[in-house]
Amino acid sequence: MSLELKHVSHIYQEGSAKESYALRDICLNVNEGEFLGIAGHTGSGKSTLIQHFNGLLKPTSGEVIVDGVNINGKEAKKELKVLRMQVGIVFQYPEYQLFEETVERDIAFGPRNLNLSDIEIQHRVTEAMDMLKLSKKMRKKSPFELSGGQKRKIAIAGVLAMKPKYLILDEPTAGLDPKGREEFLELIADLHQQGLTVVMVSHSMDDIARYAQRMIVLEHGEIRLEGTPQAVFAQSELLDQIGLGVPTLTRLLIELQKQGWDVRTDLFHPTDVSQEILRALSKREQRKGADLC
Amino acid sequence: MLGDITIGQYYPGDSVLHKLDPRTKILAILVYMVSLFIVNNFYGLLGMMAISILVVAVSKVPVKYFFRGLKMIIFIVLLTVALQMFMTPGDVVWQWSFLKITKEGIKQAVFMGTRLVLLISITSILTLTTTPIALTDGIERLLKPFQRFGVPAHELAMMMSIALRFIPTLVEETDKIMKAQAARGASFDTGNLIEKVKALVPLLVPLFLSAFQRADELAIAMEARCYHGGTNRTRLKALQYTGKDLAAGILCICMVAAAIISRTVS
Repeated sequence: MSLELKHVSHIYQEGSAKESYALRDICLNVNEGEFLGIAGHTGSGKSTLIQHFNGLLKPTSGEVIVDGVNINGKEAKKELKVLRMQVGIVFQYPEYQLFEETVERDIAFGPRNLNLSDIEIQHRVTEAMDMLKLSKKMRKKSPFELSGGQKRKIAIAGVLAMKPKYLILDEPTAGLDPKGREEFLELIADLHQQGLTVVMVSHSMDDIARYAQRMIVLEHGEIRLEGTPQAVFAQSELLDQIGLGVPTLTRLLIELQKQGWDVRTDLFHPTDVSQEILRALSKREQRKGADLC
Repeated sequence: MLGDITIGQYYPGDSVLHKLDPRTKILAILVYMVSLFIVNNFYGLLGMMAISILVVAVSKVPVKYFFRGLKMIIFIVLLTVALQMFMTPGDVVWQWSFLKITKEGIKQAVFMGTRLVLLISITSILTLTTTPIALTDGIERLLKPFQRFGVPAHELAMMMSIALRFIPTLVEETDKIMKAQAARGASFDTGNLIEKVKALVPLLVPLFLSAFQRADELAIAMEARCYHGGTNRTRLKALQYTGKDLAAGILCICMVAAAIISRTVS
């Protein structure tokens, strides 16, 4: 079972003078249980791409297949709601979608649209709030009196309450302070641990490097690079050209290498990088010792 | 979802219409509207239609783009046509229980429908060929003489330009929120009327909230740049009539004259 895009192209304002390709012949597989990172610049088509995952946008050509069902096909028409339930999308700045009087009711909006029983809805709200480590006291509060970070958590809880199999997040850390950013990334990694398939869109290579098992890089609506973060970050020159660059720690290694240090440049985890630097240091010490003898 | 709303939008170009002084364009449209109602027979109406088509052609706005803007008002036009058709008393042509169509009704319906479409076409040509700033300047200058009677010319013009400026922003915002709620299983186009109205709550609450927030931010941004209304305010581009405006004025006078003459033809 997987989420599959087959030769998907999307053209905005087709047939007018402003016609422009937002996506061009995208082939992509999101496998169940993986953590996929999508990187790309503003305007590279990231957001357009994810809106195809649950049928909010229809491809101009190509197919989107969720668990074997073509979501723009005839048989999917009646089940679009069910399919949308499978693929939960959290948009950029999701806190703007809150509208209910209480946190509880807002999170329940999704499940209510699925016509579930009251008991099931309550159960799901509790579950979703637990997943995001939201305290029970918050249930009866108005979402509008909470802080920005909390609002965002509630918005995500609102999507999780629909029990999606795939969770798509568009720039989940945009506009958060460093602490909130850290907290959110941990949370997302946690959700992935719990068995959700996660797709995270970001223009921050650091964020993607941290948790993604596989990543794609979009530019002008086309997939430029695809593979493990390690393989992708090895192409630092191309990434610089696209304007995304590599994670800060990889950049550090590249700079060290330029200055004549013998280090690998395909690492990005803090522990890996520090070990690599220590290794290079001790190697140099050894050589110095040998020279002295 | 909502990319079709082009009301009040500017379409960049360099046609004669784009270069006309905004005051000329506003006045010309007023004259056109008056002529449209002076005209009382089909020849006149056809003439007005021809003028309208000519104006669209001269503006060089792509016809497709132009019609997309008109799509929005189809409902209003149909409603008007239906009301005119069924409500006008006269010779009955067709009847079914309480509904009846009269000869006068058909005539009225055709007239009102055409007038409405022409009216909206010509006003949308105004906004399509005039930048919001030029439009505001034009309105402000035209209203200036009435300031003596307490008409807040500058404030009205400013309000209008802000409103125009925020149409695309709000459309974009609406689209975003609709998608976010649709992703949570909301549907805006199914169910009966009551369900449809109810479905708007998750859309309108966030929309109003962000609109108020935006208004607040805009007010602060304006104050931070020392905006204090229209007194002593000068302009970067002062409005200036040219030969083109004179020509347009003469054409307008011809149009009214033709409209009046057309009444005598029958």
